[in-house]
Amino acid sequence: MSRTYVGTSPVRNEDRRLLTGQALFVDDVQLPGMLHAAFVRSDHAHALIRGIDASAALAREGVVAVITAEDLGDYWQPGPLLVPPPPIDGIVFNQASQVPLAKDRVRHVGEPVVMVIAESRYLAEDALTDVFVDYEPLDPVVDLEAALAEDAPVIHPQLGTNLAAHVVQRHGDYEAAKTDAHLVINRRFHYDRGAAAAMENRCVAARWDPRAEELTIWDTTQAPIPIRNGLARMLGLLESRVRVVAPFVGGGFGPKIMMFYPEEVLVPWAALRLGRPVKWTEDRQENFFATTQERSQIHDAEIAFSADGKILGIRDFFFHDTGAYDPYGLTIPINSQCTLLGPYDVPAYHSEFRAVFTNRTTVTPVRGAGRQHGVFVMERLLDIAARELGLDPSEIRRRNYLRKDEFPHTFQILFQDFAPLYYDSGNYAPALEAALDIVGRDTFRAEQARARAEGRFIGLGVVSYVEGTGIGPYEGARVTIEPSGQVRVATGLGTQGQGHYTAFAQIVAEVLDVDVDRVHVVTGDTREFGWGTGTFASRGAVVAGSACHEAAVAVRKKVIETGARVLGVPADEVELEDGAVRVRGDHARSMGLGQLAGHANPLRGAVVPGTEPGLEATAYFGPDHGSTASGVHAMVVEVDAETAMVKILRYIVVHDCGKLINPVIVAGQVQGGVAHGIGNAFYEQLVYDEGGQLQNASFMDYLLPTALDVPSVEMAHRETTAPLNPLGLKGVGEAGCIPTGAAFAQAVEDALPHLALEIREIPLSPNRLFELLRDAGPADRAPAAELGGPTAAAAAD
Amino acid sequence: MIVDGEHTFPGPRQTVWDLLQDPEVLAKAMPGARKLTLTGDGTYAGVIRIGVGPVTAAEWTLNVALRDRVPPESYTMQVDSKGALGFTRGNATVNLDEVEGGTRMRYHADLSVGGKVAGVGQRLLDQVAKMLTKQGLDALNKELESRLRDGGGPGDQAR
Amino acid sequence: MAQPVEISLSVNGVRQGGAVEPRLLLSDFLRHELGLTGTHVGCEHGVCGACTVLMDGEAVRSCLVFAVQADGAEVVTVEGLDSGGELHPLQEAFRDAHGLQCGFCTPGILMSMIPFLRDNPRPDEPQIREALSGNLCRCTGYQNIVESVRLAAERMGGGPSPGGA
Ligand code: FES
Ligand code: FES
Repeated sequence: MSRTYVGTSPVRNEDRRLLTGQALFVDDVQLPGMLHAAFVRSDHAHALIRGIDASAALAREGVVAVITAEDLGDYWQPGPLLVPPPPIDGIVFNQASQVPLAKDRVRHVGEPVVMVIAESRYLAEDALTDVFVDYEPLDPVVDLEAALAEDAPVIHPQLGTNLAAHVVQRHGDYEAAKTDAHLVINRRFHYDRGAAAAMENRCVAARWDPRAEELTIWDTTQAPIPIRNGLARMLGLLESRVRVVAPFVGGGFGPKIMMFYPEEVLVPWAALRLGRPVKWTEDRQENFFATTQERSQIHDAEIAFSADGKILGIRDFFFHDTGAYDPYGLTIPINSQCTLLGPYDVPAYHSEFRAVFTNRTTVTPVRGAGRQHGVFVMERLLDIAARELGLDPSEIRRRNYLRKDEFPHTFQILFQDFAPLYYDSGNYAPALEAALDIVGRDTFRAEQARARAEGRFIGLGVVSYVEGTGIGPYEGARVTIEPSGQVRVATGLGTQGQGHYTAFAQIVAEVLDVDVDRVHVVTGDTREFGWGTGTFASRGAVVAGSACHEAAVAVRKKVIETGARVLGVPADEVELEDGAVRVRGDHARSMGLGQLAGHANPLRGAVVPGTEPGLEATAYFGPDHGSTASGVHAMVVEVDAETAMVKILRYIVVHDCGKLINPVIVAGQVQGGVAHGIGNAFYEQLVYDEGGQLQNASFMDYLLPTALDVPSVEMAHRETTAPLNPLGLKGVGEAGCIPTGAAFAQAVEDALPHLALEIREIPLSPNRLFELLRDAGPADRAPAAELGGPTAAAAAD
Repeated sequence: MIVDGEHTFPGPRQTVWDLLQDPEVLAKAMPGARKLTLTGDGTYAGVIRIGVGPVTAAEWTLNVALRDRVPPESYTMQVDSKGALGFTRGNATVNLDEVEGGTRMRYHADLSVGGKVAGVGQRLLDQVAKMLTKQGLDALNKELESRLRDGGGPGDQAR
Repeated sequence: MAQPVEISLSVNGVRQGGAVEPRLLLSDFLRHELGLTGTHVGCEHGVCGACTVLMDGEAVRSCLVFAVQADGAEVVTVEGLDSGGELHPLQEAFRDAHGLQCGFCTPGILMSMIPFLRDNPRPDEPQIREALSGNLCRCTGYQNIVESVRLAAERMGGGPSPGGA
């Protein structure tokens, strides 16, 4: 029997190493003669540097070098623009990317100013206290709107403005749509910053080997290949002389993308200059100040409805905080802009944003990457409208979903991959009904009433989202059958816990009909595979997984051809089964794949002209469009009306990510995303004061959810296979955390129908919710409607 | 960060005023002060050593300038302090009133705190500021009492 | 700088020692002096639990302990859990129930759960969650970690926990 692996959940190939402490993480790299770097960082959000006195540090025993911006000479260059802005008409984009060390001005607290290199990390940190930096403090820019005032201090004087970008995208004519509206709702929404907070901090180690003439860099990056390409260019080395290894990485979530962080650029330079290996390991405090963050936006949104609750159009103006620098272009606000539309039919849309420089840590994508802001705004508008129209929140969604026969669906606005926003496939209404069935369509409201009679406040939130996943440009993979019969797969991705070692093995094992644990996947080492982009935007499994599939199919073809030659029969009489080729109908004539690999690599004789030795193939996959994942999240909460503590009683996810490679891994990705989303909604907020100083830079004050704070997720999958890749895959990495805030807000309001409570901000910490509850007047509104049933169309699905 | 409050010294206003202008006395009253020297008319420079919660004790350079002096009633104090773990800057106003039983000092400081100490010590800053203030006032009280006992001479038994 | 101090301790059953600076953290001693890099460091302020090891049978955060304080102690790290390549039932349960993603938090969680399961052979879910609440994990949402611990308890002979998962 041939093996089926795609859609099953074998135990993960990588787990033994991780469970026994043998997996290599970057900070585990320890080399003879290794030096250690530490950084003097700005205490000021905004200041001029008048002078630096590092002499005492240099004089300290064990200190090898003290490096300032001046010492870098021509190597001092602003970092590259990682994602150029899409070609949108009338776009304004002002680029200012981060610099290796601040030269004359610091722009956020934690910006590196001086690098100290010493014989040990302890000595390097000791020496930091000896460096004296003379600052002239400037007024900081923190508030998004004030940043654009005429007289605001300017963070990047060469730009003359704190405006980083201005973008208008629209389809249809909102103003015209609005003239016929029965109901128009206009609100302001706030979303504030959180941290990615991967458990592993960043780390970079580098060694120059003069004999091999090779620079090896171990880096906690999600994108080793772009890092290699960029560093080779900056250092003036051949790409083939630079090897970047992202071994096991302890969580990515966005900020470990190819940032060209100052430390990432400086450590390899120092290793080359000093001729000794150098390592820098971020500590948690540095992570809070110097690793990129996300999520502050302010939206002024307006939505128009017909009398029967159909959306006529939406207009949204928003401010996006890009922090001190904007190396990542406009990915986040464009995601917000596009994802706001969600699974709904929106005939007219006007969306306009201003990205703004502030004296806070640089903003780049963090799991969700702007999508949750769009979803929050849209779902809140729907909730407010449902209330006005006397509809249940699920009913207003039902009335506005795109129908199953409306795919593929294109909007006239550009997505982050520069193509018009395109939904390849989907079927939304049934996911909502499935979620309501799990919640208890017929019983929930009665339970809620019973609880209320006992003085307990229970509420339900049900929200929808779509997520563009699996975008290009491309990834590649090489599949090789070794003479042992074992299979090796190399891809260029980095992996940070998503189970790629197993998922890719499953894909290849199924095509070659071998046991999955005989397929060995290598990722994140540019020497093993040198083409590709990286793991971000929920694209790893989709794009690289498709490439693995294509490469395995090509190897299978070689297996059949070589088998036909060796077994002396026509190719159509050869079958590949159970790790061997054999003659159809004559199973005695067979040969194992390992032996066949030997035949494909002869020691004597000649390789047939026009063929290649070995059972090996490389393939690339680049989708025209991403694939659109979607889902519904439902949350049941209990709110303590006195203390404003919220307990999440149930969390339900109905998710459509196309074909599942490994359902257990997918479920794990969703569960983790939900926990991250719950953290962002209720516990996690990076609090800055008006001086741009972060107030809670430790896990003592910045609260990550623990095992006591997140519920078990009840999940149901739907599979609308993606038409644009061979396996029908859609991405899953970010979905769990995208709609959580919106579900949370709806559920809390639903729990307290006697209060005129309208939640327009996230995160909503217990303290903040307490204030909102205290200030909310009594509601004048009808009791919650029944959850209702599916429309005929959805029920027929 | 706002630090404000009041304190009544058991002595005449002029004596209290003199006390508050004396670098040697201030050096004693300032918790963790390593040294404090007069660098000009009403300006002082020094080094203090303070830790805040999880932030290990470290040395901070300190520059203080006394301005708008209206003896013996009021002055403002500009504070500028920095160290490896961050900085503190701001202004404080001090008013002295004669009251029943002595001199009442009212103080109000508006300080900005930056860097690591702000990021990881935030929860504790208010507590620490209160504690340091109390220690300082207690030390001043003691000094005042000894001066009154010794007949109001300058603070000459420093350390 | 303070004088190095001579220490001697057992780590995973092997006698180790040497002169260490008094300020050297146990986590750094294990990772950098002994090369036992399975013990991870996520915060260095005692919150995340990634650095948890056993000291005389009890879970401690090695980032809060100085190496000199471990003088004379028996320390066990994640490298000491399996026997001759055979996974410990707890490790096996984590693999079978997908209790890890990036695996960075995992060694600390395993080392926290060893004494927990010793003292609570038949834990229920609230007890497991309580016991896990001192370890942070950003990847998994804890659900499969809870399940892994439950499965391990069952396999290690505690029998099914009261009330099931
Ligand atoms: S590293 Fe020790 S508790 Fe986080
Ligand atoms: S598995 Fe990544 S932090 Fe727990």
